[in-house]
Amino acid sequence: MMIFGTSVAAPLDQQGARIEAAARAAAHRATLATGTKLAVRNLTMRYPNGHTALYDMNMSVEAGELVVVLGANGCGKSTFMKCVVGLNKPTSGTVEVAGRNLTELSGRALREARLPLALISQHANLVRRRSVLANVCSGALARHRNLATALGRIPRAEVQPALGYLAEVGLADLAPQRAGTLSGGQAQRVAVARALAQLPQVLLADEPLASLDPEAADEVMRLLRRLATEEGLAIVCVLHQPELAARYADRLIGLRRGRVVFDRHASSVSSREIADLYVADA
Amino acid sequence: MSTAYNARVSRGASPMRPVVALGVAVVLIALFVQAWIVVQARPQDLVSGAHGMADIIARSLPPAFDQFKPTLMPVLETIDLAIFGTVFGVVFAFPLSILAARNLSPARPLYLAARAVIAVTRSVPDLVWALLFVTAVGLGPFPGALALAVHSVGMLGRLFAEVIEDMDMGPVEALTLTGASRTQVFTHAVVPGVLPSLLGIALYRFDENLRSSLVLGFVGAGGIGFQLLTAMNLFQYQTVAFLLIVTFVLVGCAERLSAYLRSFVA
Repeated sequence: MMIFGTSVAAPLDQQGARIEAAARAAAHRATLATGTKLAVRNLTMRYPNGHTALYDMNMSVEAGELVVVLGANGCGKSTFMKCVVGLNKPTSGTVEVAGRNLTELSGRALREARLPLALISQHANLVRRRSVLANVCSGALARHRNLATALGRIPRAEVQPALGYLAEVGLADLAPQRAGTLSGGQAQRVAVARALAQLPQVLLADEPLASLDPEAADEVMRLLRRLATEEGLAIVCVLHQPELAARYADRLIGLRRGRVVFDRHASSVSSREIADLYVADA
Repeated sequence: MSTAYNARVSRGASPMRPVVALGVAVVLIALFVQAWIVVQARPQDLVSGAHGMADIIARSLPPAFDQFKPTLMPVLETIDLAIFGTVFGVVFAFPLSILAARNLSPARPLYLAARAVIAVTRSVPDLVWALLFVTAVGLGPFPGALALAVHSVGMLGRLFAEVIEDMDMGPVEALTLTGASRTQVFTHAVVPGVLPSLLGIALYRFDENLRSSLVLGFVGAGGIGFQLLTAMNLFQYQTVAFLLIVTFVLVGCAERLSAYLRSFVA
């Protein structure tokens, strides 16, 4: 079977791919020191129209930790995510990813410093007409800047690892299938596999369950939990499902009107405190 | 649900007021009447001229099927005009459309320049381009091919740009955030996203160009059109009838082929 010029044995050697991906992940993990992977300090974001979306926000995420950010619409969650990935320049404060301050960088330097950071958004944002495998491999393009990839070929060296990442999210069988044929839950898991192909240290998930049914949502959360625990990824997840957050997160951060109202271990946050986040302002 | 919303909904659902409907009808009728006057429509002439048309049809029969062999070269010329025009059009329209697409254009001046080129090449009809090129490079199929090519650049450029502007930007943003270069983002997210639509449009353009190439022959740009004009000027109506049959078959085949190929890329 040919997938974008790359031959894939059929049936796919899932076991081998999984082993290779595991070995690669282990090697990647070995290069990562444990400790703080994402540190946000005194982050304030005021938009040109005068609206302040974030006030002096502080938070950090350790390797292997899954942190869920909760809050009502307009509380500053999206602004926070945009500041972390460098799409918004904060008014003040710093965002450090793997020890590098992103807020003082721009252009190519920002793109390079952002490499340890992978983002999964509300929509899987897959290229629907390409295969699942090609979509996963595209997560590794930054490490393969050459003529072949510039002409649209997927990096050959990434095919086996990509199959491994797909095996990790339980979708290796779908590698040759067009991404446009996947269900919402499957597409989101492929987006996770694409993020893994980046070999990230920090994984940001911006409302990844928004368009999923309860079963698929639970599946994705289980996957994120496993990636944090087993792969040592630092994961920040913005959610609107408090019960899933409480079940899977190590730590919950509550945002209300741009301010952190709690940042504690998930088990110590009461349902009353969570409910208060969603109470409409007078 | 707010009162304002309900009011808007009820306004939208209500039928047009009779006075407004009458006004619209009067305007439409007035428009048609002025068109009738300006085009000097005389239906009675059609009736009185029927015997002349019947005479031409009678003199066209039977069609001159013995002209099959001498017509082969003009047929090939007509097809090649369409191929040249379409290929040239696609090659130049694609990069132009990237510059002319608001979501991908690298700079505002480039966007405006690309839009200007598209507007000029598109708004001047291919027949006018053919007349210009006949003046420049003389009679024959080449000026026709150039005319189709230049007009296709404008037509395809605009349609391609619209497809690119309507594309889902999610995958583009996702790949950009992975650190992929601009070229990689373009080839891995933009091209796979829009290619089927662009191919469909290009095939449809080929179909259009084939029909246009028939007309271009009337201004000396070669192909069957030129043969048709010559036969009409020499009152060889049987040859005209045969050439019309060839034209019908050619256009029909091109339409079917184009539709068939487009079904693969949809």
